[in-house]
Amino acid sequence: MVRGFFLLAAGLALAAPLGAAPLTVRVVDANGRPVRDAVVTLRPAGAAARAPRPGGHFVVSQQNIQFHPFLTIVPVGADVSFPNLDNTKHHVYSFSPAKKFELKLFARDQSRTVHFDKPGVIALGCNIHDQMSAFIVVTDSAWTARTNAQGVVAFGDAPNAPAQLTVWHAYLRAPGGMMQQAIAPGQRSASFSVRLRPAPPAMPMDY
Amino acid sequence: MRSFSSLSTRLTVQFALLFAAAMLAITAALSTFISGVASRQVESQLQSSGAVYDRLWDQRAHELQNAAQLLSRDFGFRAAVATGDQATMQSALGNAAARLKVRSAFIVTADGKVTAIDPSIGAREAARLWEPLDDGRLTGVSVLAGRPRQLVAAPIMAPVLIGWVVFAADLDPREMRGLERLSAIPLHAAVLAQTSGRWSEAAGSMSALNSQSASRAEAHVKSGAAFEMSVAGEKSIVLAKALPTFSGDERAILLLAYPKSQALAEARKLQLGLAIMTLLGLFLMGFATWRAAGRITQPLARLDEAAGRLASGEHVQVRVRGHDELARLADSFNEMVGKIAEREQRITQLAFNDVLTGLPNRTMFHQQLEQLFHATEGSGGLFALHCLDLDQFKVINDTLGHPAGDALLVEAAQRVRRAARGHFVARLGGDEFVVLQSVGDDRDAIDRLAREILSAITQPISIDGNEFMPSTSIGIAIAPDDGRDGGTLLRNADLALYRAKEAGRGTYAFFEESLNERAQERRQLESDLRLAVERGEFELHYQPLFDLEHNRICSFEALIRWNHPKRGLISPADFVPIAEDTGLIVPIGAWVIREACAEAARWPDQIRIAVNVSPVQFHRGALHETILRALAASGLDAERLEVEITESIFLEGSETTLKLLHALRALGIRVALDDFGTGYSSLSYLQSFPFDKLKIDRSFIQNLLTRDGASAIVRAITELAHALNIETTAEGVEETAQLMELRAHGCSSVQGFLFAEPMTAADVDKLFREDRVEIQDSRDVA
Repeated sequence: MVRGFFLLAAGLALAAPLGAAPLTVRVVDANGRPVRDAVVTLRPAGAAARAPRPGGHFVVSQQNIQFHPFLTIVPVGADVSFPNLDNTKHHVYSFSPAKKFELKLFARDQSRTVHFDKPGVIALGCNIHDQMSAFIVVTDSAWTARTNAQGVVAFGDAPNAPAQLTVWHAYLRAPGGMMQQAIAPGQRSASFSVRLRPAPPAMPMDY
Repeated sequence: MRSFSSLSTRLTVQFALLFAAAMLAITAALSTFISGVASRQVESQLQSSGAVYDRLWDQRAHELQNAAQLLSRDFGFRAAVATGDQATMQSALGNAAARLKVRSAFIVTADGKVTAIDPSIGAREAARLWEPLDDGRLTGVSVLAGRPRQLVAAPIMAPVLIGWVVFAADLDPREMRGLERLSAIPLHAAVLAQTSGRWSEAAGSMSALNSQSASRAEAHVKSGAAFEMSVAGEKSIVLAKALPTFSGDERAILLLAYPKSQALAEARKLQLGLAIMTLLGLFLMGFATWRAAGRITQPLARLDEAAGRLASGEHVQVRVRGHDELARLADSFNEMVGKIAEREQRITQLAFNDVLTGLPNRTMFHQQLEQLFHATEGSGGLFALHCLDLDQFKVINDTLGHPAGDALLVEAAQRVRRAARGHFVARLGGDEFVVLQSVGDDRDAIDRLAREILSAITQPISIDGNEFMPSTSIGIAIAPDDGRDGGTLLRNADLALYRAKEAGRGTYAFFEESLNERAQERRQLESDLRLAVERGEFELHYQPLFDLEHNRICSFEALIRWNHPKRGLISPADFVPIAEDTGLIVPIGAWVIREACAEAARWPDQIRIAVNVSPVQFHRGALHETILRALAASGLDAERLEVEITESIFLEGSETTLKLLHALRALGIRVALDDFGTGYSSLSYLQSFPFDKLKIDRSFIQNLLTRDGASAIVRAITELAHALNIETTAEGVEETAQLMELRAHGCSSVQGFLFAEPMTAADVDKLFREDRVEIQDSRDVA
């Protein structure tokens, strides 16, 4: 699934129009170490971003009292199903303004699907298991990607125009968990230095 | 006495001071110890109070946190916060706050929005908390609306952190007083908090905040030790504890102040007790020392007093009980007093008693005399002073030696003492004794005692096998008639004694005023005599001696005359004894010799000159030299000089006398024995020295015609002299019959008024000029 998303991104980059240029964004923490799994979004200033390819089906399952995967980037209008693979009940909810919902998945293999029609970050929780946490980033920009192990995101076809870069991370210490940066035309690289709060111990970063 | 009481005071003061110093040192140490213990106790009480407070703080925080968590996990609440449902949020907060009795509660959302139920806490002020909340801070003190508060927060997870619910518990006076009440000790609690450099306070029963307390408290926070500080004007022991603050730029300090007066009240009580005990101890010690010093110094004082009395002549004994050093000192003192008394007695005896006879001596006599004068003064009582002088004692001393003389004195002393029993008897020295007799008005008693003494003395005594019949003369003066003081009385008794001696020995004589007059006359004469020597008031007269064989003048006897400027011619019998007594006879006698030699040198060669020589001259006058010089000066032939001596010369050292006589004889000088037949007239003299002439005493010549014995004696003397080939001269021949008798007896020469009275040198010259040296009158020489 992740791989597919990358391919999607690469495809978008290849399909960049004229006037596009590659942009490399690097995210490091306060100590200069690369931060992975930060979601970087580029939006041209004063114009709508190029929409990502709509549709697609995404799954966030509940297994072993955990959400899987922890982070899911979906385009606006995507449907995400939430299958309960545990024997326990789960009460999946989101109070995020982008999509508020509650799914009472009280039986094994019970699955419900939610349609995400607004961009934004949806924090998923389970009202029964406080330690369960997952995020779905609903994006309206085709230039949305997560940092790799080197903390780098490369946009091959970033518009050669003034743009706004947004970085979000699940543990980023800033209101809303995000930071923004303006990008000048022709700027080929940008970097974010972010402060992260420590991850809750029960929440594995790796998945 | 005073020095000892001061010793006792000194001992008391010294010991008391020493004890006081020790007591004070102990008291000070104890007091310091008590203070230290009290301080430590207070500190530990403060510490435990601090610990209680910590626990309370934690409990409160825990309680609040539980409540906050409970609230934050409520799904509905989370939904309300997540969806910004203000009404729900406010009511949920209010509900929880009311349950917790917390006035202020608010929600800070993750993106910094504030929802509060307490309008006094501004949104901006609460927003300040976002940073620490975001840092994970969930409890701590923070100043909100100017007051320190205890904040407790809980994160609201939905499921990501969407905000925090925060309870702010007031640290108001009521809260603090509640805390104070929980403490075991009456302390004052306050919380000081600092935000952006300004201190604010949550005070309990009193305010601890002032310009210095915060900084001082802050300084002591780290050490964790209690310190002293003035809190609300009251000295207090203070413990400062750091309280966790909500944000890093804030400070909060819990101050627990224990007013010192209360904290150390128990210690003060102890110290007061200690001080009272110390004072009591000091008093007791002072008293005990004073008593002890008294026990030591009292015997010393008694010794001191005894020593003082000993110094003033009393013989005292000190009684000190016990066997300690002081008792031994007292024993030694008593022993010393005894010995001093013994010695004093001995000294007194030596001073006041005559060693030989054991009788009181002159000194004691004078004392006794003075006492007697004192006792009889004004009483009209009489007392007599008997002065005794043994007759012939000198002779016995000289002839039998001093031991014999001493034996006589001892015997005489006993006899006098026996005779004068009940009266004071003393020996004044030599052979002089005195008796003091109190008689009231019975003058006859004086006579009786004198007679008893005379008869007691006049008893035979045997000394070294020699029998003696000692006798004494007594002169008596009666006080106060004969003298109102000791000196006068003794002098007058002495005068009476002379009188008794003169009257023939073995008698007694009373003093009469005439004796005194005579004595005065004699003293006058004595001083006149001295002047006479200087002024040359003496004159020599010459009485011729007629040689009966050749019927002519053969010699002249030089006789001294004193032409007193006022009293005219004074007889030698009147002044020679005085001159002898005073020693003036030496210069006078020397003058006589010089003058006589000078005169005689001008006379015809066959005429000799005879000079009388006093025993005093003989023994003290350097007679030999005097004569040699006179002969040399005058050119007189030594054989023409004849010295006339009396037997009394031999009374004093006959050995030297004989040596001198032989020396004179060796020069060719003739020696005549004058007044022969009177005095001791010992024929042994005639044997021991070859006299040239005997001069028969005039008493024999005067009686020559009237008493048979006298004629026989004269004849015996002339015959004896003739046999010894010694010339004889009869003195005092006044009648022709006497001359005839003497011529018949074979007397060599005569001298007397019958032929010629003593004449002046001029008359002698005239005699020679007229050549009347031979006896012209046949009738006279018949």
